[in-house]
Amino acid sequence: MLWYIGKRLLQSIITLFIIITIVFSLLRLMPEEGYLGAAADKMSPAQQEVYLSNLGLRDPLLVQLGNFYTNLLQGDLGKSVTYRTDVPVVTIIADKIIYSLLFGLGAVALSLIIGVPLGILMAHMKGRWLDRLGTGYIVFVVAVPAAVYYLVIQMYVTEIFRLPMLFDEYRPITWILPLVSMALAPTASYAMWMRRYMVDELNKDYIKLARAKGVKERTLMFSHVLRNAFIPMAQYLPATILFTITGSIYIESLYSIPGMGGLLVDAIQRQDNTIVQGLVLVFSSLGIIGLILGDIAMALVDPRIKLGKGESVR
Amino acid sequence: MEATRTKSSILSIQSLVIKFTLRGQVLTAIRDISLELYQGESLAIVGESGSGKSVLVKSIMGLLDKNGSIEQGRILYNDRDLAQFTTEREWLQIRGKEIAMVTQDPMTSLNPLKTIGKQIEECVVLHQGLKGKAAYEETLKYLTDVGIYDVEKRYKQYPHEFSGGMRQRIVIAIALACHPKILICDEPTTALDVTIQAQILQLLKNLQQKYGLTTVYITHDLGVVAKVADRIAVMYAGDVIEVGATHEVFFNGQHPYTWALISSLPQLGLKGQQLYSIKGTPPNLFKAIKGDAFAPRNPFALKIDYEERPPFFQVSNTHYARTWLLDPRAPKVELPETLLAFFEEGRQHANDA
Repeated sequence: MLWYIGKRLLQSIITLFIIITIVFSLLRLMPEEGYLGAAADKMSPAQQEVYLSNLGLRDPLLVQLGNFYTNLLQGDLGKSVTYRTDVPVVTIIADKIIYSLLFGLGAVALSLIIGVPLGILMAHMKGRWLDRLGTGYIVFVVAVPAAVYYLVIQMYVTEIFRLPMLFDEYRPITWILPLVSMALAPTASYAMWMRRYMVDELNKDYIKLARAKGVKERTLMFSHVLRNAFIPMAQYLPATILFTITGSIYIESLYSIPGMGGLLVDAIQRQDNTIVQGLVLVFSSLGIIGLILGDIAMALVDPRIKLGKGESVR
Repeated sequence: MEATRTKSSILSIQSLVIKFTLRGQVLTAIRDISLELYQGESLAIVGESGSGKSVLVKSIMGLLDKNGSIEQGRILYNDRDLAQFTTEREWLQIRGKEIAMVTQDPMTSLNPLKTIGKQIEECVVLHQGLKGKAAYEETLKYLTDVGIYDVEKRYKQYPHEFSGGMRQRIVIAIALACHPKILICDEPTTALDVTIQAQILQLLKNLQQKYGLTTVYITHDLGVVAKVADRIAVMYAGDVIEVGATHEVFFNGQHPYTWALISSLPQLGLKGQQLYSIKGTPPNLFKAIKGDAFAPRNPFALKIDYEERPPFFQVSNTHYARTWLLDPRAPKVELPETLLAFFEEGRQHANDA
């Protein structure tokens, strides 16, 4: 197991290395104005030249790449050019990621707590009222554009439950609506997948044998079906969790949460190359961590996956 | 064959009718079947796909699909009518405890995420009330019984670490661990290759002796039947059309469908001649069947076969067949040479033995 994790980590670092190099190269192909920022108009061409070479942009490309890696290893992602001039990128991202992280994790936790049991119950009562109700909910959330039901929440739910609409760090009651809004879609998808995998498993032969040997329906559900149905879930769960963490532009702007959602768009619009670079690094690391966690989770629940040297499946 | 002489019925099916509702249409899967299962015997139910053999045994265990129901008739076991059972609680007194099942495909019949030891132990705990160490010991005993070596190590392994034949042994161990009186084997060898088939059948036979089980085999393989069964019930289109001791049905079959089945055995084929096959298709079970269901495919069909369902005619004490050909007024029919030769050979064999 440790050997496997080590190997996967090594692979991921290589993947990350490739991604960073590609992003770095792409940004170097872009116009240099991005590094000049708002000051571009005020500088003479000679001044611009001095400024750019101070930034190291006149060095040979390989030297630039080398410098970039060295800085990266020291936790230095450079300084913001236009977004918040001269503030280290790490600081900017760190300020924002904390909100996205908390709301992301909160929403995922909420949707797991509601979605998974809902899916189980729906599979258990397949074809009955609860299943129909749940299916209705899933179809609604998936088919109706998010903007529509977010607006409904803003217009009516705030009224009915007297919940404040705008986010305020120091008033926990304002956290409720953003959390619920964020959890709506993942809840539906967890319920849908859980129901689907449970129903799949329930039709398998080993369930027939278990029934024939006199196992109670309830025991059957929890001791035989659930774990099997969870395998496909386990694999992609960590990845979905991490994608939720990266923040939702729409919800964050709706409730004015100072999270990461809008940062990438802002940075691109303002041609802030260093922030874009830093964000791509963060997002791809999260994605890769998600994949590793998925693989590990899957290996933990499924004995058929043999993790060892050579990874041979017997 | 001894068992059939000391007749005491353990399970009795009486005028059973089972219907399914499929997309608004009603399908009659079992049409008025009566069948006795005797203590300690081994009965084979044979018939082609869709003849209702699986439905019949599923109804005995209360495992019919949700759209199927018993319309009429009784299934008597220990003075209780299983056909009246409705709740899970009632069935849990029967499933496993009294009647256990060996399922068809060992590759998919075991839970891939539980060690085989735990899967057997589940039955031991449920039906024999043992716990902890005692249950573990008992489980190892069943593993040994079905011919698994190195049981303590095997106990901790998962199904994917076993071959098909080994998995079928595990499935048998699961059924045995329930401590049933009746063991139903639903095509226990279909998914296995021929050499393993023979081993599994021998194993089942030995275990039947050891545990004093009454066994029911469901199969469409007459070779399997010949090896294990004391009695045969031949099913066609949801009805039992002939029932008797194995040698009686094999070597003195009376129903044209039985003849057709035996004639289709590859062993009876002559070199250079086409292998016999039954013409036509089985009847549509959505429609009501009038007369003998086999009549349209039967070269010996009489006029009455299309009009009235034949009753059971008695051939011997143990042998009955549902065909008008046994009526005294029926004309004599000429059977093909190969079939007659097979019957003759079989009877001589029986006499020699």
